[in-house]
Parts: sequence; structure tokens; C-alpha cells
Amino acid sequence: MKELEELFLPDDVQYTETHEWARDDSGSVTVGITDYAQDQLGDIVFVELPEVGDIFEEGEEFGTLESVKAVSEICMPVSGEITAINELLEEAPELVNQEPYNNGWIIKVKPDNPDEINNLMTSEEYVEMLKGEE
Amino acid sequence: MNEEQIKKTPLHDWHLEHDANMAVFGGYEMPLWYPSGAKREHIAVLKGAGIFDTSHMAVIMVEGPGALTLLQTCFTKNLETCIGKDKTPLVPGRCAYGIFLDDLGHVMDDAIASQVAPEIYMIVVNAGMGGQIARHLKDHAGMSDVAIYDLTDGVGKMDIQGPMSARILAEILREPETVFDRMVYFSFKGFFDENSPLADAVRLSDGTPVMLSRTGYTGEFGFEIFLNPDNIEHVWEIALKAGADFGLEICGLAARDSLRTGAMLSLSHQDIGPWPFINNPWSFTLPFNDDRTDFTKRFIGEEALKNIKKMEYTYPFAGFDLRKVSLGDSTVVTDSDGAEIGVVLTCVTEMAIGRVEGRIYSVASPDRPDGFNPKGLSCGFVKVTKKLSLGDTVELKDGRRTIKVVIVDDIRPDRTARKAIKNML
Repeated sequence: MKELEELFLPDDVQYTETHEWARDDSGSVTVGITDYAQDQLGDIVFVELPEVGDIFEEGEEFGTLESVKAVSEICMPVSGEITAINELLEEAPELVNQEPYNNGWIIKVKPDNPDEINNLMTSEEYVEMLKGEE
Repeated sequence: MNEEQIKKTPLHDWHLEHDANMAVFGGYEMPLWYPSGAKREHIAVLKGAGIFDTSHMAVIMVEGPGALTLLQTCFTKNLETCIGKDKTPLVPGRCAYGIFLDDLGHVMDDAIASQVAPEIYMIVVNAGMGGQIARHLKDHAGMSDVAIYDLTDGVGKMDIQGPMSARILAEILREPETVFDRMVYFSFKGFFDENSPLADAVRLSDGTPVMLSRTGYTGEFGFEIFLNPDNIEHVWEIALKAGADFGLEICGLAARDSLRTGAMLSLSHQDIGPWPFINNPWSFTLPFNDDRTDFTKRFIGEEALKNIKKMEYTYPFAGFDLRKVSLGDSTVVTDSDGAEIGVVLTCVTEMAIGRVEGRIYSVASPDRPDGFNPKGLSCGFVKVTKKLSLGDTVELKDGRRTIKVVIVDDIRPDRTARKAIKNML
């Protein structure tokens, strides 16, 4: 189990209470799960992805992560339309464990409101929340 | 449960130092997996070997002239007829798997009973169950001449499981050829107590006495090792060192759970529990007569099992891909007509198996197709109110998804648990 100080929590993404991250790439939001989440879940063996074009509200479940132990939902950090899914995960779901912030990204979203991402937590705020969960 | 009540095994600090993901199981904080991950750990036990800290399990000693009679009353397995095709009695050095039932025929716990000496039995029950089963035995001992000792937390235990287990142990045992000679499945040698007359039968090269038992909970060839808890960290370290050349992985409870499910072994309090113990894959532990019309001995729970009003059936299943359903009150089993017929007891991903043209292979199957690299299959156990047949398809539904699974009589093929030891050295 990683200690808090061992977690990689980059500053260029925003964080949700349900342990997703979201990165604003000039209008498109890339979404994945945090280093904390992948460490808690253990080996990811399957990622159930939505279809491009699907529309979800903020907080809504858009897919699932199947770890060895359990099935966990992945939730939308912002409301919007799915514009891309990470097809690499079909053959290599372990990328979510190995590179959660780059090759392990899960979806890209066209947000309904480009400012909504600013409601999410900064890495400092996320660390504070994790301290509270311990 | 507050922090003071959560127990730790003697290897707890070692697990933390080695970055295990920990969780509470059976009242103990135990490793779920280590940094190499549960999938790698699971596969290691099929291809090489895995080492598990199992000191959370409890040991009870039952000793005296009344010991056998008491166990015959409280334990489902008929210890007078449990060995081999000729149905001979349990003898010192051999073990038997059975169940402790209550008067309702419900499961209190499952256990392995090992006969240490003519009137001495060692009973290994699950984590946290030592006190309850010891009390149950005392309650039924009456005036008979039998002593019951709950050794919970007084015996260390580690398992080395997988086809390379004996080769690893050969590196650290004194006189391994003698130790392994005629060591059949469900037998043991040695003892964990230095003062036992059996202690000299199995010692490590450095003299540490251990009880080495050809039993386990993975379905694979391997051993359970009982020893003084003061010695476990030292023995764990030397086993790891010896295992480095044989693909030995340190394994946690997640791999243990997927391995045992693939091997169709039950998890007590999950697959067997507070309902009548009958019509399940483990009913071989009941003392049925040859035509299964009656039992061959009297035991606690017997009357209840003969008079069940509402019959239920527990079956193993295997899915068609690795997707699971989550366990919970809203998770149900439906038959081909869509009728709700029961509940899901266990549902895991067995990561080392896959289907090829309708047949299940494991990564260790000798006849697996070239390039076989499975993603895993969901599998587990369902408890239903309707009698099903081998090959029947049912659906498992949780709040999220519905998966189709088939009722099977085996899950992971080509398991090694029963292989002759001479072929594993």
C-alpha cells in the first residue's frame, strides 16, 4: 500500500472525491483514475468503456474497472459528451495501474460547460481529503 | 471493530515493510497483495510457487482417550473410514477435511483434522474461530476423558504452494529425501513444538522444527508449514531466499481467494455458512453410506440434514469472460425463464484460465493451445432453490450488469495438488 507521500498526484490535473482525475487540454477534458485509486484497486484486469457520443452528467457512472477483487464504477468529473475512449485498455488494462495519468487515461470528454472543471479539487485539496480518509 | 481489536500476525510488520496492501480479514489485518500484484501472484502458484502468511488460522488440540469419539460426534468426516479406496481409519500422520455443524445442520466452520498420535488430534480452523470451535467441542465432551486446547495465536503458519514447492523446501530442509519419502496428499510429518517426540522428523537445516503438511488451499501441489511463531519471520526469510531461483512469489489473500475458487474450494462463512450443509460440492465430507440413503455415523446436525423442509443447492459456475458481478443483497441468479432462483456466494476472476473452442484451459495445462494467453474467466458458486444440471446456463445480475454463466463440475483444469511427490522434486 502506498503511503500518502509516495502517491504521484500531479499538479496539472484536477481531482474528484471519487478518485478520478480530469485534465483540461484546451477545451477537451481527459479523464482517468488517480494513483491512489489504482493502488487501492490492485491489478485492473478489464475496463468497461462507454461509446463515443454517449452523454453523461457530472457524477454519473460512465464505465467500470474490474480489478482482481471487485468491480468499481468510474464517474464523470464534468458533464459532457464522450469524444474518445482509450482503446489501448482493451488489450492492456494494466496501463491504468502502470501509467494512470498518461497511457492509462480512460476517456476524453467535450464538457457542456468548460468552467465546470474548476469546481474539482487541486492536488493539495485532494491530498487533504485523502488524509481525512485515513 | 476498533483498532485495538484488530489482530496482527507475527509477520505483520514484514508485510508493511514490503508494501503489501492490507485489509482486515477474520479479525486480522492481512496482506491482500504485494507490489507485484494479485494476477502475478496467482499465476506464480500455477507455474512456480507462492508463499502465504496464514498465521491468522487457528489451531485446536484435542487429546485423550475420548478424542476420537468427540470428533466423530462433532466433525462430519467419518474418521473411521476416511483413508483411501478401502476406507480405512485415520492414522497418525494423516489428515482429513470436514465440517463442524450445529444442531440445525448449519456450518460453524470447516477444518482439517490431523492425527498427531493415537489419541492426539490437531484441528485447524479459520481465523477467529478457535475459541468458538474449542467451546463447541468442550460443550459436547461431557464427562469423557478428553482435553481441548485452543492454541489461537500460539502457532505460526505459512503455506508454500505450487509445483516448485518441494524443490524450494529441499533447499532448506535437513534430509529432504527422508522427509519427502512417501509423503502423500493429506499427510504430514514433524511437529511445531520442540518438545514433541515428532519434532525430529522434520527440521530445517538450522535445526528449527516444523510440522510439514501436504495440504493447502490453492488446489496446487504444496505444503502448509506449522511452526513456533517466534521462528516464522526467520523461516519466511530463508524460504524466500531459497525460492528466488524457483519463481517464488509472496502472495496475499486476493490470490488465495481466486486460486481456491478455481480449485472449487469453499470459503467458510461465505460459500458454506448458516444454512443446511447439503447438496453442495463439498458434501463428500458428509459420512454417506454407499448408496447415499443414510449416514454411516451419528453426528451433530445429522437429524436436521435428514429433515430439510426447503431444499437448496450450491453449484460451481464458470463464465464466458472475466467480468464479475458484485456480491450483495440485490445480486440474484435467474434461470433460463428469467425466474429468480437464488443468490451468488462467490464471484471472482480466475486469471489463469480461458476458453478455447468451448473448453477451459489453464496457463499450466499441458495441452494448452500454442500462444494461449487468457484474460481470465469469472467463476464461483451460486446457491439456488431449483435443482440444476451440469451445463445449464443461468444469469447473474447485480445492480450494474447481467452475466451469463454455466453450471460446471470443475473450474481450473490440470491442478497439481494430488500429484505424486516423487514427480515434483
